[in-house]
Amino acid sequence: MLEIKCPHCGKRSQNEFAYGGDATIKRPKLGEEVSTKDWDDFVYFRDNPRGKHQEFWHHVSGCRQWFKALRDTATHEIFNTAKLEEDL
Amino acid sequence: MSDSNIVLSALHNDHKIGNFGNYHDIESKDLLKIKELKNLSIFQIAKFKSSNVKTETIKIDNLDFPQSYPNVSFNNETRILWTGPDICLVVSSDKNIKSKIVNSVNEEDFATTDISHSRAGIEICGKHAIDILKKGSPLNLNGSEFKKNNCANSSYNGISFTVDFVDDVNPTFRLFCLRSFGGSFYHSITDAALEYGYAGE
Repeated sequence: MLEIKCPHCGKRSQNEFAYGGDATIKRPKLGEEVSTKDWDDFVYFRDNPRGKHQEFWHHVSGCRQWFKALRDTATHEIFNTAKLEEDL
Repeated sequence: MSDSNIVLSALHNDHKIGNFGNYHDIESKDLLKIKELKNLSIFQIAKFKSSNVKTETIKIDNLDFPQSYPNVSFNNETRILWTGPDICLVVSSDKNIKSKIVNSVNEEDFATTDISHSRAGIEICGKHAIDILKKGSPLNLNGSEFKKNNCANSSYNGISFTVDFVDDVNPTFRLFCLRSFGGSFYHSITDAALEYGYAGE
């Protein structure tokens, strides 16, 4: 069983969490002209790296808070987790 | 006769009174007890993101607003469970708890929601109560991690629930889940309890 350290609740089983996608994606700024390619990149296109990856996770069966995790996509090792407003 | 004031409890059609499972060789005082929690007031209080109020300063019925996992503030009638940062669950048998909450938290800073009828509540009591929880929940319930007057949100056989550790002398846990999952949750708990035998009260 994989354990994930929620920044609010501590170590919990992976069963309580939901994956929330790449945490490095930045939404195009509001009010600016955005090209179709930029929207496509933001909405659809994701890197699929082997190795360390910054991700959003949701403690859906716990405190119901979103947080960030630095995970190795090959080994599933989780190096660090942080609240949304904190740096990993 | 129909009466719009009649409120059926969440487990009205599920909870059965009597002894079940492997209870034959167990004295009644040692038998695990399972009962439905009824007639409790349950309020969720959540601070708005835009609010600058410090929850450390909030007192509800003279109880602190819990600041971190896994704390519970409590008195004889009311227990306030930490369920998230700046979010708590007030569970009370006090009929005046609503007015106490309204007097304690400002509606411009906090969202207060009466969820008394949207939760199913079960109390399990007995020395095997913790074993029943361990059968279905990945939560670390060992004594060094989860103690009396601690609470947690977790899942039980895939159903999200809140557990409140009320007493450790005669181990007692209060469990709450969404009302619509109440039947499935109740049967998950009672199925796990059959091995030890239990008394539905």
